[in-house]
Amino acid sequence: MRERRKRLSRLSGLTFLAGALLSAPVSAAPERVMSLNLCTDQLAMTLAEPEQLISVSFLAREPDLSMLHEKAQDFPVNRGLAEEVFLEKPDLVVTGTYSLHNTTALLKRLGFRVEEFSFVQTLDTIPGEIRRMGALLGQEARAEKLAEDFSQELDAIAKSQCDMRPTMIAYDQNGVALGSGTLADSVMQAAGFANLAADLGLVGVAPFPLEQVIAARPDVIVTSASEGAPTLGEHVPRHPAIAALPDTRIGAFVPAGAWSCGSPAVIEAVRALASLRAEIAPCPQDATQ
Amino acid sequence: MKLSISLAMLALALFILSLLVGPAALGIGDSIAGLFAGGGEAAAIIMREIRLPRALLGLAIGFSLGLSGAVLQGFLRNPLAEPGVIGVSSMAALGAVAVFYSGLAGSSLYALPAGALIGALAAVLILLAIAARQGSTLTLILAGVALSSLAGALTSLVLNLSPNPFAAYEIIFWLLGSLKDRSMEHVLLALPLMAAGWLLIALSARAIDALSLGEEAAGNLGIHMGRARFLIVAGVALSVGAATAVAGTIGFIGLVVPHLIRPLTNRMPSSLLLPAGLGGAALLLAADIAARLVLPAGELNVGVLTALIGAPFFLWLVIRARREML
Repeated sequence: MRERRKRLSRLSGLTFLAGALLSAPVSAAPERVMSLNLCTDQLAMTLAEPEQLISVSFLAREPDLSMLHEKAQDFPVNRGLAEEVFLEKPDLVVTGTYSLHNTTALLKRLGFRVEEFSFVQTLDTIPGEIRRMGALLGQEARAEKLAEDFSQELDAIAKSQCDMRPTMIAYDQNGVALGSGTLADSVMQAAGFANLAADLGLVGVAPFPLEQVIAARPDVIVTSASEGAPTLGEHVPRHPAIAALPDTRIGAFVPAGAWSCGSPAVIEAVRALASLRAEIAPCPQDATQ
Repeated sequence: MKLSISLAMLALALFILSLLVGPAALGIGDSIAGLFAGGGEAAAIIMREIRLPRALLGLAIGFSLGLSGAVLQGFLRNPLAEPGVIGVSSMAALGAVAVFYSGLAGSSLYALPAGALIGALAAVLILLAIAARQGSTLTLILAGVALSSLAGALTSLVLNLSPNPFAAYEIIFWLLGSLKDRSMEHVLLALPLMAAGWLLIALSARAIDALSLGEEAAGNLGIHMGRARFLIVAGVALSVGAATAVAGTIGFIGLVVPHLIRPLTNRMPSSLLLPAGLGGAALLLAADIAARLVLPAGELNVGVLTALIGAPFFLWLVIRARREML
């Protein structure tokens, strides 16, 4: 008896799935899309028709964090509040899994269609994210092209690497470094650098003592290019001890915001670091070019 | 004098120990060599650019807080007076935050002491006005509590209003100070101002002794009250303001140290000044070493430790003071 019920439920699950697949093409592209998260902002601004996207998060306009901060000026911004969503009545809300749990749960309960994107941690998942956002927005062709270009350029950069792997630490505001499992780590690897913070055991985005940065003597220290209102934290990467390292290159190198989110723009970070690698530690093939 | 020498030795020992503690595992030999060797060796950079400024600031800020506590307790004839408790430190932090985060001076560090001195001065003047009108121990402390809460709330408000989303995270530094990642820039910024404050406070030594006999008696002894008041106000504002500008609010050092040391002196307020400064330096250096050892990777804010020691002590003082009043 129990067996039968199980089989029945499995069957009904299949019918449901089939129904969903069949009805998918029928539901037209959403006309009012709201993005509540910096990273979904980047994907949505890249892929959506301008009139399709009714607002992006306020962080999208931050020059230090958002690669597309200029484009974000063209869109209204939201603070990720459920009330704002409720008033705007979008037919699709895109947000991150890590941001605003309560808001997401509330919106789902109120019957909004909410699609969550997990925080991208490696470069190879980005083409998939681009395609997923494209499918959600009904912009499949545009997404396919972007995803394909992204993969191709990444492959080309990977092919131009050799055994020369200079060391690098990305040292950010407040003495925080980017360790293993971060998108930045994946970018460094792809561009031919060894991420020293990850090699020393740092996981994720975590405090990294200034003394250890000095003791590790990396070939390159990437600091964030901050142009916003002053903070004390931004003085840490500018500490005189770092400037005193004689053989270390220190600079922003990566365009502001380029590796804070898994969007097509990350390729610019990979490109910038790959050319830095070719400059400071040329591979045999770099010399022949 | 003997007391001062032993406290100076203690502070010196902790100063050296502070140079030897840090997340980069340097041996004692490497550390000492790094301190005196030139060049771009990692050990030399770590010692001279990271640990030396930190130890120097621990010494000087501890001295400022201990000294200010001793002079305030003597001058106000109030055993609970202390820059942290009566709100001078939090007003200094508010001043620094208001000037720095507004971006008026770009992101220059010079904005910090400029704002902090104004904040500290305002606090001392407000408190003196209240203490002059109503001399009770309790009034001053309650006024200090009000001032601290107000300054703390406004500090938080200013940080949240900053257009930079990272600014709000720095509230913990301003409320529970830290000596982490300071540099020689901070030392050059704060040390001259603190030293000027120490000098002014030292010049007031005769006046606070005379004041222990009461204001009228002090007047009869030829003490110029206006001058004494100016020296103390300016001295405390300079030393506490500069200390807070580079290290945030570090509480209770000025409260605990004078009480611990007073029984060892002849109980003249002036004979407490130097030992209280040295004792403050030793206590802050010790707390800062502990902050690095308790949580080596993340590092605890040193204000957390001084509050853990100081707050129960404060409570005990309040209970004792009430018992004596009965």
